[in-house]
Amino acid sequence: MAVTKALDSAAAGRWVSLETSGEGATLHLAGDWRLPSLATLGRALQAARSVRPIVGIDGQALTALDTAGALVMLRHLQSLAVDPSAIAFDNFSPVHRRVVDVVLARLDEITVEPVRHRRGFVAEIGYQTEALGGLLLGHLNFLGYVAGGIGTLVGHPWRLRTQELAAQFEQVGIRAIPVVALVTFLIGVVFAYLLGLQASRYGASIFVVDGVAIGMAREFAPILVAVIIAGRSGAAFTAQLGTMKLTEETDAIRVLGLSLMDVLILPRVFALVIALPLLVFVGNIMSNLGAMAMAAAMLDITPATYLERLSVALSTRHLWVGLAKAPVFALFIAIIGIRMGMTVSRDTRAIGVNTTSTVVQGIVSVILLDALFAVVFQALEI
Amino acid sequence: MATSVIEVDGVVTRFGSQTVHDGVSFTIGRGELVGLIGGSGTGKSVLLREIIGLQRPSAGSICLLGTDVCKASPPELAAVRRRFGMMFQDGALFSSLDVAHNVAVPLLEHTKLTKDAIWPLVNLRIAQAGLPPDAGAKMPSELSGGMRKRAAIARALALEPEVIFLDEPTSGLDPITARAFDQLMRFLVDDLGITVFLVTHDLDTLLTVVDRLIVLARGKVVGDGPVREIVDLDDPWVRSYFSVRTMAATPSGSEAHGT
Repeated sequence: MAVTKALDSAAAGRWVSLETSGEGATLHLAGDWRLPSLATLGRALQAARSVRPIVGIDGQALTALDTAGALVMLRHLQSLAVDPSAIAFDNFSPVHRRVVDVVLARLDEITVEPVRHRRGFVAEIGYQTEALGGLLLGHLNFLGYVAGGIGTLVGHPWRLRTQELAAQFEQVGIRAIPVVALVTFLIGVVFAYLLGLQASRYGASIFVVDGVAIGMAREFAPILVAVIIAGRSGAAFTAQLGTMKLTEETDAIRVLGLSLMDVLILPRVFALVIALPLLVFVGNIMSNLGAMAMAAAMLDITPATYLERLSVALSTRHLWVGLAKAPVFALFIAIIGIRMGMTVSRDTRAIGVNTTSTVVQGIVSVILLDALFAVVFQALEI
Repeated sequence: MATSVIEVDGVVTRFGSQTVHDGVSFTIGRGELVGLIGGSGTGKSVLLREIIGLQRPSAGSICLLGTDVCKASPPELAAVRRRFGMMFQDGALFSSLDVAHNVAVPLLEHTKLTKDAIWPLVNLRIAQAGLPPDAGAKMPSELSGGMRKRAAIARALALEPEVIFLDEPTSGLDPITARAFDQLMRFLVDDLGITVFLVTHDLDTLLTVVDRLIVLARGKVVGDGPVREIVDLDDPWVRSYFSVRTMAATPSGSEAHGT
């Protein structure tokens, strides 16, 4: 044993000291080599660099050693291109020696860096596009599957689950009336106010009735109600079916010889397709009531005058245009909501992700469809 | 260093008019592998939740690592929580994070280590829990039940805990995976010096790796001691519990002990 080399700093010396002899250097570890002081330990080891190769480690002065401490020490040896298994571990207590062995036995496995796949910008665009394409194709596929189910049902009408259909209709239709009525009433008020501001300037106040009635019946009532229902019932479908899938209820239904199509899918689709036009009709009435209230207060148009003008201005054609869109919106909302529920992956987070996605997809699809209707109606001059 | 890790003293737990625990007391020392058993509804999981401070007993005191968890202030409780690990029944891994990040959560939260220092440590934990190195990049949903439990152990080990609590560690696992899990528990105790406290119904685990059994019945501790003593205990519940398997399982009892 020759010279004990003093370290750069006294702080480092508390943990590691270096002793050089004929064969090489020996590291003397001291103190509490545990997780809380890990960062300090790393620095202390760095400070104790030696020109001679390390041949031994002495653990006599260690008061505590845990696997984190042992890991830092062994990785330090590795970083110096020293094979830790060829090192002599002297004067380690049996407990500390065991900790070293535990880490030593696993050292090869842990040198791999965690794989972090971060995609590049272009790759991300490609990936997202592919995912979107897959999603839409899946929806289309599912639409076909449901159409097939409806076809089968036409041949076997007694397979329709009327009880489930009624229960679903109550959920998505009747229970949605208050929120639909409130929202459309208020929009009617706002709409009449907005038109009233302009129309009264030209002395054309009475045409507020035309504007509100036609606008609501053709466009706004169907869109508004569909958006509300996409958020309310589309999301509910995804959450319900997603939970059922996660708890293997859907598998149980299949194993019991029942058809998911009959029990879960078609009742929901039918309930929504029937309920949405009716809710739109509720919306039409409520928005006109709202406008009527506003017109009376702001433009001195009495309810009687309002109704009289309404019968002239609103031809049934407009009403039918609006009501005809509703079942199509409903079909898409139902298809999206149900499919997103049926395709949740196994972890619980997926339900939340899919439910959010359902709402977004539902609203976007409603607006896309409405634009499509506008183009078609314009071409057909309806 | 105090030798007792967990001191449960006269714990009473009532839910409404129903008394679950009626004066439960025991002490667990450092480096023990203790199993808690009892029939359904005897409040094993409730007791476990009380020990780790998730729930308060109606009366009595529980001391964990020198801290009275029933009276501890939130900062004191937070301090003691860094010193134990808990594995929930189905792992309770954070589903939005991959396994490596799940294991890294306690390290990122409670230490000031740099990322360079954390990742090797995370990989060590993953290896210690007996997972293959590539498991770190997997999401919890991609793991089998056994691997989820191992990942949960890796997370519980992250901060070098002094005690690990395991809730039904081998439930839902096939016998081979379950026995490997038993070995893992022994490794925690024998090689890392961790105290392990588990709630289980797995008789193979109880008969082969557990040092000591605590039996909860009728709101009280009706048995506390080495497995061999408990098996011979004159208690109706204990007798019927072990009657099925004692004969078959006892011969393999000694060999799995690493000590």
